[in-house]
Amino acid sequence: MLSDDLFAEAERQLNICNSCRYCAGYCPVWPALELRTQLTVTDVTHLSNLCHDCQDCFTACMYSPPHEFAVNPPQVFASVREETYGSYVWPAEPPAALRGRRGVLAAFLGSAVLVAVLALLMGESSVVDGSHTRSPYELIPHFTLAVIVLIPTIFTLLVMARAAWRYWRDIGGTLAGLTDLAAWTRTFGQAATLRHQTGGQEGCSYPDGEPAGARRRFHHMVAYGFLLTFVSTVSAFILETFLDSAPPYDVVSVPVLSGTIGGVLASVGCVGLLVLKRRADVLQSTESMRRADHALLWALLALMLSGLAVLVLRATPVFGPVLGLHLATVIVAFAIAPYTKFFHWVYRVLSIQYDNRESRRRASA
Amino acid sequence: MAEVHRRAPDRPERWDVVVIGGGNAALVSAMSAHDQGARVLVLERADRTFRGGNSRHTRNIRCVHRSADDYNTGAYPYDELWKDLCGVGTGPSDEDLAELTVTESESVPDWMSAHGALWQKPLAGTLHLGRTNRFFLGGGKALINGYYRELERRGIPVWYEAKVESLEFDGPRCNSLVVDVGGKRVTVTATAVVCASGGFEANLDWLREYWGDAVSNYHIRGPRFNDGLVLRQLLDNGAAVAGEQRGFHSVAVDARSPKFDGGIATRIDSIPFGVVLNKKGERFYDEGEDIWPKRYAIWGRNLAGQPDQIGYCVWDSKVQGLFLPPMYGVYKADSIAGVLDAMGLPTEPGRTTIERFNAGAPADAAGRFDPGGLDGVATAGVVPAKTNWAQRIDTPPYYGITVRPGITFTYMGVKVNAGGRVVLEDGSTMENVFAAGEIMSGNVLSSGYLAGFGMTIGTVWGRISGREAARHALR
Ligand SMILES: Cc1cc2nc3c(=O)[nH]c(=O)nc-3n(C[C@H](O)[C@H](O)[C@H](O)COP(=O)(O)OP(=O)(O)OC[C@H]3O[C@@H](n4cnc5c(N)ncnc54)[C@H](O)[C@@H]3O)c2cc1C
Ligand code: SF4
Ligand code: SF4
Repeated sequence: MLSDDLFAEAERQLNICNSCRYCAGYCPVWPALELRTQLTVTDVTHLSNLCHDCQDCFTACMYSPPHEFAVNPPQVFASVREETYGSYVWPAEPPAALRGRRGVLAAFLGSAVLVAVLALLMGESSVVDGSHTRSPYELIPHFTLAVIVLIPTIFTLLVMARAAWRYWRDIGGTLAGLTDLAAWTRTFGQAATLRHQTGGQEGCSYPDGEPAGARRRFHHMVAYGFLLTFVSTVSAFILETFLDSAPPYDVVSVPVLSGTIGGVLASVGCVGLLVLKRRADVLQSTESMRRADHALLWALLALMLSGLAVLVLRATPVFGPVLGLHLATVIVAFAIAPYTKFFHWVYRVLSIQYDNRESRRRASA
Repeated sequence: MAEVHRRAPDRPERWDVVVIGGGNAALVSAMSAHDQGARVLVLERADRTFRGGNSRHTRNIRCVHRSADDYNTGAYPYDELWKDLCGVGTGPSDEDLAELTVTESESVPDWMSAHGALWQKPLAGTLHLGRTNRFFLGGGKALINGYYRELERRGIPVWYEAKVESLEFDGPRCNSLVVDVGGKRVTVTATAVVCASGGFEANLDWLREYWGDAVSNYHIRGPRFNDGLVLRQLLDNGAAVAGEQRGFHSVAVDARSPKFDGGIATRIDSIPFGVVLNKKGERFYDEGEDIWPKRYAIWGRNLAGQPDQIGYCVWDSKVQGLFLPPMYGVYKADSIAGVLDAMGLPTEPGRTTIERFNAGAPADAAGRFDPGGLDGVATAGVVPAKTNWAQRIDTPPYYGITVRPGITFTYMGVKVNAGGRVVLEDGSTMENVFAAGEIMSGNVLSSGYLAGFGMTIGTVWGRISGREAARHALR
């Protein structure tokens, strides 16, 4: 939940913005703010997810700190997102075993052991003893593998669906709003291109107050890279289950190509974002948000690198252990996903959708 | 990131053109001189964070344009801008220079775009000025940031925290400047100098010479750096005065705003929707005289003339929400006496004044009230009358806010000729000293003000003075 103090601070700053409105041309936050002169917690939450942290308003603001008005919208919005994200997730806390850095490590070791035990019990000795082939299903039979990966995946999807619905209701969304295809077309276009992260024509002022498109490009690499690796996994599953085509797949095949390209893209993107973060001005974000960003980026990086290792090393004797580590990473990553920043895109996409409907109403009014 | 330009030079060097100031007029002068091929140095008194003078608080500029475009909703021909200019204050002070300003304004937007400016499309909140004025994307500080980036790209050095303390003259020629650079005194030599250091609105002692102790209750809307030190130097060295000496532009600001640098956000727009009382609990001016964009700039003066330079604006729940919410919030109570008390005004005679006002307001006001234009809903038998939007203040909760004069800028500056050269009292000119922006805006308007024209004057004259200074230096 949004604390009273943070709401009061957001309200203080946004009241100044509402008496100023110089930033009206930068992003959808500003026209939406003009419609909300008596701010509520819901308004502030919605606006905070519309803000894509491009920093243009901060750079343009004559009241940004150290001015005594200390107006810093990207920071106050980041704090609001951070405080509210958790409140839509149920169960609100990760299972006790997974909490904190130590919990993640323990979960990872546990999953690794689980995979190893399953491999020893069910796997073909060729993989385990290194005389190998290149199919994962020789490590763990297809069905078992599907089950142990699907359980955390389905868990995450359910938690996500519930969070999405609660968020949507909270910002005043209706069922009609969710089925508004015309608005969804715009929404997905804007989300897919990260339109709002470009701010005004200036381009993103992040990380050092001068326009630069670097962060947007890296974010694209992570998002699309991740999607590609997802395509890789799903296509492999489909090939095996429905088309009777068993791995190992050729280099020129959907799973290998999409996995390789996606893995490389996302890894480069993660590293790029981590480097930008080191350079960025701490003034505009919050310390714990930076930590949450780092956690997600490192988790993704681990996922991508272990996945790539599987692809590259599939013809070598270490294939079995590497695959085991990757599987353990996948299991843990999905299990903790609801508690990392991984869900941020859900809230953002919903707020964009809400805003698209609102601005259409405004335009026709 | 810009190099830190605070370093004082270790070896004396002669610059072609030195520009004093770091706001709009200064940066335009610097780029204009550089366009001519001059070696330029910019001296800005503020630090990097607070650079940009009053210009960092602006949002739009008014220029002649023959047709609508992406950023203006319609044409604004020469004749119309000229007419508007003649309609404010006492009209143009030097007709030739004012005409030159209007003529030159037409090429300003393209020039600005070519030098780093970005624009905002007309939006709901800016529509009433969308035809005549162009809005800077992100406002004046964003514009200034773009200009500083352009300076950096061109390699024009800027020294921050560089306060020009005096201009050293040899007859009509300025040979050097004494500059305090981050605490170290440095002599800067230049072949030509452009003074673009703004007005003297932040110099309370200077204002006190004209306005006495009332100044203690004035708020200065821009930075504290515009103290007119360079203007004083020019006047002391024989420059002729342009513009009304005691004149300043001012508006009503929230009495709780800071002494300096409150900018646009402290401005109060509630006045036409209610009544304004002075410290004695009396009304003193027609709150509904004209539409607000035409009248907001009268209220600084109105308040400055009242006891203790304070006003108490009161309205009721019928009109609450029709204007921008003040940044510090409003006082609110269930009775008129309650809201006066909350603002620190004795209940009487304020309550009686409002009762009398209510008695004079037309009974059918609610049906005719129209905040979108002059509705002619006027009081009868009340002095002073309220001639528009005179609804009774009778529906709780009641709201109020305290207001004070907020000084935007001063009018008095130095006289220049058509080439931007500073003119001396005997009618001759300084040899190598030019001026641009607020410091010479009195040549165009000696009193009164047209929204967006301050930036026009700064850009037109920055271009002229920068160019002429460079030509002088490179001749
Ligand atoms: C809140 C507010 C809103 C406004 N909005 C608009 C608007 O929308 N449109 C419009 O046209 N006008 C607007 N104005 C008026 C406008 O700001 C001025 O007309 C314009 O900025 C003047 O530009 P300038 O470059 O001459 O002076 P400034 O921008 O004030 O620049 C003066 C510069 O000189 C520097 N300086 C001063 N003394 C020294 C010294 N001794 N040594 C070195 N440097 C020195 C200062 O630090 C500053 O950088 C507004 C003003 C305010 C206060
Ligand atoms: S961020 Fe600053 S410049 Fe932008 S609207 Fe808010 S107060 Fe105005
Ligand atoms: S998206 Fe950019 S301009 Fe919009 S609120 Fe966020 S930081 Fe400011």
